[in-house]
Amino acid sequence: MSQPSPARPHVVEFRNVVKTYNAGKAEEFTAIRDVSFAVEDLVDKGEFVCVLGPSGCGKSTILRLIAGLEPQHPATSGEVLVLGQPVVGSGSDRGMVFQDYTSFDHRTVLENVTFGLECLHMPRTQRDELGREWIHKMGLNVTTDAHKYPHELSGGMRQRVAIARTLILKPRIILMDEPFGALDPLTRLNMQDLLVKLWKDVQATVFFITHSIEEAVFLGDRVYLMSNSPGTILEELRIEPASSPAHEMQRQPKFLEAVYDIRDKIMKLESKT
Amino acid sequence: MNSSFLDRLRRDWLTLRQPTTRLQAIGLGMTCVLLSLAGWWFLTLGTVAESRIVGPLTLPSPAETFGQFSNLWNEFALTRNVLVTLRRVSIGFALALAVGIPIGVAAGCFPRIHAFLSPLIMLGRNVPLAAVLPLMIFVFGAGEKNKVMFIFVASVAFVISDAARAIMDVSARYIDTAYTLGASRWQTITKVLLPLAAPTIFSACRQMFGLAFGYIMLAESIKIADEVGGLGYQIQIFQRRGFREHIYLIILVIPIVALVIDQTLAWVQRQLFPHVYGGDGVLRTLVRVVLIPWEHLKSLVFYRKTSGLPLAATEERLK
Repeated sequence: MSQPSPARPHVVEFRNVVKTYNAGKAEEFTAIRDVSFAVEDLVDKGEFVCVLGPSGCGKSTILRLIAGLEPQHPATSGEVLVLGQPVVGSGSDRGMVFQDYTSFDHRTVLENVTFGLECLHMPRTQRDELGREWIHKMGLNVTTDAHKYPHELSGGMRQRVAIARTLILKPRIILMDEPFGALDPLTRLNMQDLLVKLWKDVQATVFFITHSIEEAVFLGDRVYLMSNSPGTILEELRIEPASSPAHEMQRQPKFLEAVYDIRDKIMKLESKT
Repeated sequence: MNSSFLDRLRRDWLTLRQPTTRLQAIGLGMTCVLLSLAGWWFLTLGTVAESRIVGPLTLPSPAETFGQFSNLWNEFALTRNVLVTLRRVSIGFALALAVGIPIGVAAGCFPRIHAFLSPLIMLGRNVPLAAVLPLMIFVFGAGEKNKVMFIFVASVAFVISDAARAIMDVSARYIDTAYTLGASRWQTITKVLLPLAAPTIFSACRQMFGLAFGYIMLAESIKIADEVGGLGYQIQIFQRRGFREHIYLIILVIPIVALVIDQTLAWVQRQLFPHVYGGDGVLRTLVRVVLIPWEHLKSLVFYRKTSGLPLAATEERLK
């Protein structure tokens, strides 16, 4: 395992972050309380961080705070730091993939994938070339799929477009909010494999939200377990990285043991809180 | 045999949302037209006025009515009057779009602008048109201007509120996505919000154009000084002269003109938004081809300008 260099600031650091809506009013609601963690900047290697927790525990709040998206941003108190700097707003250095299909319906696959480059005013020929490259990398067919509209694609293909659109910008941090939550189980396994493969290429730190323990164990280098609302991080677990394809690895006894282990931990933590 | 026929009849006519083929739909529509004509013919049957069920002063027979068509076409210059009317609606409505869409989009994007404008929009949507008409004549005088401005005033508030509503209805998650892909606020409006709302805005405006076509008749039916022309004006003349046949003919001509316009707009709509209506989107391709040089120009100016040190590094990373 590579060592964090002391000179480099953490990729992401939360210091006692609290997010409360409608503070002081009757409908006051605390989404997350006292969240602190730090993800080191490893040389030439990103880390895959999974956030596991029940629905409504504030997992998305953490992601959106990193992304700098309102209304979660800014935090009520505490500090959200990315590469040592406080987050002031959104940017393409922190790409995000959502659970809902957010393909731009009026743009073809190629136009969706090159959206971020278009915003940088990269000339068309140059960005289309990069776009085709990424469409190919995502396992889509460049000649037949590039000019389709999102409504002509399946859910899995749409998420491939959404991931390509984010990765083409080579973000330092990739935020994924249950991106495979709406996919059927088989497509989900395929997408997990694809993600592992691509992630090694782009060397980004990934924050991946899920409530599937299997998914977290398969994908994650580390897993944050979150409590019920108002959410906070209960425990941080280190996990062996994925070594074989999802459908094989996820039936190995060692893998299943890790999953059951985490399930027990969650149940114990839940009963305490 | 008999009961199976009844069964089929029941299945075809009384099943909820039973699909019909295009041919069946056209056939049923034609049947309705023929039955209406037959009813008309029957009610006005007979050569002497007294023998008819409905007298010729109320309703002339089909033969009498259509017999006047060449007169309407030649003596009363039907095509010219249709075009005069269309020109007035088109200019007024185009003005309403040019003013209403930018304001509506701004209101849809920024809730404070919407709140600020909402009293005016409310006023505009509820303004009594019968009262606006004489006002337009006071303000803009006799002539084309008052009619064009009447259409503008009658429709602009609706254009604004429909455009604002369409923008507001675009899900916030598209804004989040655009922002995390590095789009600026302006890029998010022009590349995401506006194009996603455009099909809704277009179809609202298409409906409104139909209404505006009805309003113009109202404006044309008031004669001031010596201005002439337009279908509404002609109806006034025929009424004064007692030309019932001509009035009925114009009543039949108006829906046909409206249908042609509406179908043209429907075609434009399909070709502009293939992602909603399918098809190959001829007009969308055309718009994109026209915009390519503009985009090249922008790339030349902005890509060079912004790719200073930090962006050059980004560019290096992207390769």
